[in-house]
Amino acid sequence: MSFRRHPVAGALALVVIGYLWIPILAVAVNSFNRSSLMVRWGGSTAHWYSLAFHDHNVRAGLVTTLEIAIGSTLLSLVIAVSGSLWWRRASPRARAVYDALVYARIVLPEVVFATALFFLFLKSHFPLGIVAIIIGHSVWNSAYAAVIIQARLIGLDPAVEEAASDLGATPWRVFRRVTFAALLPAIIASGLLTFTFSFDDVVTSYFLGGNSSSPLPIVLFGMIRFRITPEINAIGVMVMLFTVTLMCAAVAVFAIMGGARRGRRGAFAEFYGQ
Amino acid sequence: MTGDATVQLRQVEKRFGDLIAVRSLDLQVAAGEFFSIIGPSGCGKTTTLRMIAGFERPTAGLIEIVGRDVTHLPPYRRPVNTVFQSYALFPHLDVLENVAFGLREARTPRAELRRRVGEAISLVQLDGREQARPKQLSGGQQQRVALARALVNRPEVLLLDEPLGALDLKLRKEMQTQLKDLQREVGITFIYVTHDQEEAFSMSDRVAVMEQGLLEQVGRPEEVYRRPATPFVADFVGLANRLSGRLVGPTSGDRYEVEIEGIGRRLADGPPGLAAGTPVTVVIRPEDLHVEPAGDSASDAVATAGSVAATVVDVAFLGAHRTVRLNAGSLGQLNAVGRGQAMVAPEDTVRLSWKDDDAWVVPAASG
Repeated sequence: MSFRRHPVAGALALVVIGYLWIPILAVAVNSFNRSSLMVRWGGSTAHWYSLAFHDHNVRAGLVTTLEIAIGSTLLSLVIAVSGSLWWRRASPRARAVYDALVYARIVLPEVVFATALFFLFLKSHFPLGIVAIIIGHSVWNSAYAAVIIQARLIGLDPAVEEAASDLGATPWRVFRRVTFAALLPAIIASGLLTFTFSFDDVVTSYFLGGNSSSPLPIVLFGMIRFRITPEINAIGVMVMLFTVTLMCAAVAVFAIMGGARRGRRGAFAEFYGQ
Repeated sequence: MTGDATVQLRQVEKRFGDLIAVRSLDLQVAAGEFFSIIGPSGCGKTTTLRMIAGFERPTAGLIEIVGRDVTHLPPYRRPVNTVFQSYALFPHLDVLENVAFGLREARTPRAELRRRVGEAISLVQLDGREQARPKQLSGGQQQRVALARALVNRPEVLLLDEPLGALDLKLRKEMQTQLKDLQREVGITFIYVTHDQEEAFSMSDRVAVMEQGLLEQVGRPEEVYRRPATPFVADFVGLANRLSGRLVGPTSGDRYEVEIEGIGRRLADGPPGLAAGTPVTVVIRPEDLHVEPAGDSASDAVATAGSVAATVVDVAFLGAHRTVRLNAGSLGQLNAVGRGQAMVAPEDTVRLSWKDDDAWVVPAASG
């Protein structure tokens, strides 16, 4: 492709990359800025990290966020795995309905679900808070997980499960040794994705959190309204590092589980290639 | 044979909604036998195999394996193992673990498991590939893993569903020989499903021919070929020249006199008990049809009454033999195959003849 060597194409790529990465870079740089107004460089300091680390609200927010992310991930995976297994054996019409419900949860604006759930919980006197947020996040998270797990399930030849049964495995053993084992990479991948989505969600958390529970993004949102300091940048950088580490861990796990014996190309390509 | 039948099907029927996939099927497979079920796609052969394996429950009838009624047992409680058409290897397990799967499920002691898995892998000549994943193997190797994975459990019966279907022709021929040798070596009863009649003939002790859910004929390959029970079998099993006629009557034993349309009265063999007046089809295999140039006076003298005039349409040279396509007027198109066929060329006028022994009478298809 001669197109690839065109100078304009290269320049355009640089602009796009710059557009995406420069703000993130600015956040990272300013997290070390001694000047609290961040209008110019006032020398470097780790003060903001120490401040963020010892900030009571931030710590509480982080704990809440982790609780919500873990809870929502687990709930979403249970819904997605069991739903996908049903979907696989359902009639074509039932499948179409199921698919429509999954895609609706991805396509419809988050605000709509958040508002609807808010009123539902209010009417049914369900307390707002962590549990409400977990349910709210699982509405769309389970849909993302379902799409990834279904894609993997389509690739699984039903004859493989018949073979396991033929070789003496009871239905439960077939599920454990074959179906679940084959789905595991997809389960890990979607678990990671849903964890990340839940981790940085604002809208649903804002509607369903009530007064008592504020996850990290809501805490940050509150802080910004008073004053913007490099402390927020420091928190952002730490969250970013955390997420990236998580991603690397997942790829590593995947490499050990499935890709390791398939040569160097394996892990990364397979993780993203499914 | 009933005494040591490994697999016995009694009046087995399978319906899928309105569709009858298999109807009133009676079948007995003897211990140590290489038994094939052949037929066109949709004839019910795979459904039959799946019922023996336990993946499908019969709508009616009884299935016994080594004298035990297994009709309502799930697959994991049956003493049979299957080699699937798609191989169905476990993609997340290596060759060793694929082969060990059944023994692990049976909680086989560690030392015995290792020994038997090693033996099975050697049996299919995959030593050194134990750590490979199915994806890294060629089609032929995957096929052998599937075989080892089934055989390692020492089943009473091994079920094979078109196991060579995905391989190319040369490998297919090779695997046929290996499969036959393997079966002789392990002495396990094989039930083999294929749509390829040649493949079934080359390996099997006995062959069952199915069509539209019905069993048409069971017998040794030669029997099925030389003495087909129905016009369908005659057609499905190799090439057949079919002549319509009417039975005049039996002459002696299984020899009949037949009035063949456009030819006249001839003698032919057939199954015992056919009534005079029955509409029949006379089957003559292409290799039994002799082609001679019509002008040859020496041959003319020998040419029996009842020989047929025909025109050569086409001659195809196939290495070991040649195929001659003929137009025999009202009798339609006929085929002759052989090495000794006289040298003829397209548009030659020839005379066709055959021995009475080589003509076989089949009751004509009623529907």
